[in-house]
Amino acid sequence: MLLEVESLDVRYGRTHAVKALSFGVAQDECITVLGSNGAGKTSLLRALQGLTPSSGGRVIFNGEDITKLSPPQRLRRRLSLVPEGRQIAISLTVHENLQMGAYCRSDSDVARDINGIYERFPNLGARRDMQASVLSGGEQQMLAIGRTLLARPRLIMLDEPSLGLSPLLVERLFELITSLHLEGLAILLVEQNTQMALEVASRGIVMELGRATLTGAAHDLQNNEQLAAAYFGHSSH
Amino acid sequence: MAAAADVTFQRNILIKAAFGSAALIALALAVFLGGHVIAQQIISGLMLGAIYLIVAVAFTLTIGVLNFLNFTIPSLFMLTGMIAWALLKSGLLSFSGSWSWLIALFGGVVVATVASLLVERFTYRYFKAKHGDATEHAIPLVSSLGFLLIFENLVILAFGSESQRFPVPFKADLHLFGLVIGIPQIVSLVSALIVVAALSYVLKQTKIGRALRTIAENPEIASLLGVEVTQVVPVLFLLTGMLCGLAAALFTVNYGDVSPFMGDNIGTKAIAGMVLGGIGSIWGAIIGGLIVGLTETMSVHFLGGDSVEMVIWGLLLIVIIVAPRGLFGHAALGKGKL
Ligand SMILES: Nc1ncnc2c1ncn2[C@@H]1O[C@H](COP(=O)(O)OP(=O)(O)OP(=O)(O)O)[C@@H](O)[C@H]1O
Ligand SMILES: [Mg+2]
Repeated sequence: MLLEVESLDVRYGRTHAVKALSFGVAQDECITVLGSNGAGKTSLLRALQGLTPSSGGRVIFNGEDITKLSPPQRLRRRLSLVPEGRQIAISLTVHENLQMGAYCRSDSDVARDINGIYERFPNLGARRDMQASVLSGGEQQMLAIGRTLLARPRLIMLDEPSLGLSPLLVERLFELITSLHLEGLAILLVEQNTQMALEVASRGIVMELGRATLTGAAHDLQNNEQLAAAYFGHSSH
Repeated sequence: MAAAADVTFQRNILIKAAFGSAALIALALAVFLGGHVIAQQIISGLMLGAIYLIVAVAFTLTIGVLNFLNFTIPSLFMLTGMIAWALLKSGLLSFSGSWSWLIALFGGVVVATVASLLVERFTYRYFKAKHGDATEHAIPLVSSLGFLLIFENLVILAFGSESQRFPVPFKADLHLFGLVIGIPQIVSLVSALIVVAALSYVLKQTKIGRALRTIAENPEIASLLGVEVTQVVPVLFLLTGMLCGLAAALFTVNYGDVSPFMGDNIGTKAIAGMVLGGIGSIWGAIIGGLIVGLTETMSVHFLGGDSVEMVIWGLLLIVIIVAPRGLFGHAALGKGKL
């Protein structure tokens, strides 16, 4: 397993957002974490990257216990997060955002790799020297993903990347995720767009109120009634 | 939404253009009516402004990146002058002959820089480690105020509260177009220009500069991209110490006087300049510092020495009312940043 999560706990004061969650992601796997609003998906990803302190459990990445490491230290071990709401630096130009993506690198291939991102996302190349604040939602998402790729991660965690995108752009986004996966990247995808997520992922984990209530192969989950219940059935709040 | 942004954008440009042209017209009118006397005042004003702007940049860097008003800045300024004077007086530097004043000033800058790093260690980092988010609380602000008083009183205990002469060997003045310009004045302006150019180069073109700007916008993004924010913060305090030290060295060379209270006036004027230009903006601090310097010499000349505070703070109030963010301020202020 590339990533192993062992009974992870996240607490905010009295809110217990993630409860003793355990799962693993293999080298070449794409896994999706599903669940309704407030289920604890963002808390899980933030704790895995080290942005939010975990209050119990262990995180093992590539055989190393990274539970106590800072987010930059985890990034240098090739674990990365594209956060909820994209979060690009709008006062920097598109190019500067990409340069920041390679901040943890000191090799001489950075310029070549940035050009690679421009080839992959021609829209970004056309807006190279513009402030990132002028980008559309879809372009911002490309920048957020492209920036993260420049850190050369082995596992990329995406927190609701399709949020706020038009159906056409959502389609393209999932194509991108599929091709990243084919290129050998392990992916941990948090989504509300259940159907699309289960199409690209091989396995799914359903979270409810901080617990994994259902896990299984993606095609088994696609027609699962319990999954529908996780979204619509409970009066959880 | 885009249209609304456009309107505010245009309004900002109009305000800036209005201020800019008003300032230029005032200067031109003053030179036209007053001739050499006024031109001479403008040169003194720019020189004074150069010192204010360096300190204003120090303030604005810490606020822009950490959202923290660093009250130790005036005392770092004062430490430089007083330590330099004490070094010179102690005779320790007699080996260096006629250059001892310069070495003394350099020693002052080093002490101020070390003091600034101490402040980081014991206010900012300590409270961040202990309480998580340091800037949500007023604690760093209050403790930096504490450091200000401690530094001032330590200096008073050690050297007394009188102001002291700091002799500098600049006798010659330059005579240009009938104007008399002191060499220290030229040194001040040139140093200020170099500092500004170097800082904007670092912020715009270098890796650490991009990291600082990303932290200023959102420390969490910076952290996600691999910036160890806690390791970058000391760099800011180092810069703060060096900027205050440089400004104080220039001040000392220009006026030949140091005192335990020399930082207080400079500190408040620099804050005025920073707010005038827009909190958190380096260019704002630069323009604001120059405006405050010019306003000061002009009001001394036309209205007498007692008018200075009235005019400067009056001007500041007017600017704040018309353009609450100052001339170059941006919107991302007031949030807890770290
Ligand atoms: N910083 C915080 N402080 C306190 N409580 C929080 C914080 N962040 C999240 N929570 C709480 O933790 C629980 C899980 O939130 P989380 O954001 O992880 O859910 P989510 O599954 O990502 O939801 P969504 O689909 O809306 O993004 C919620 O009850 C939320 O209110
Ligand atoms: Mg979420």
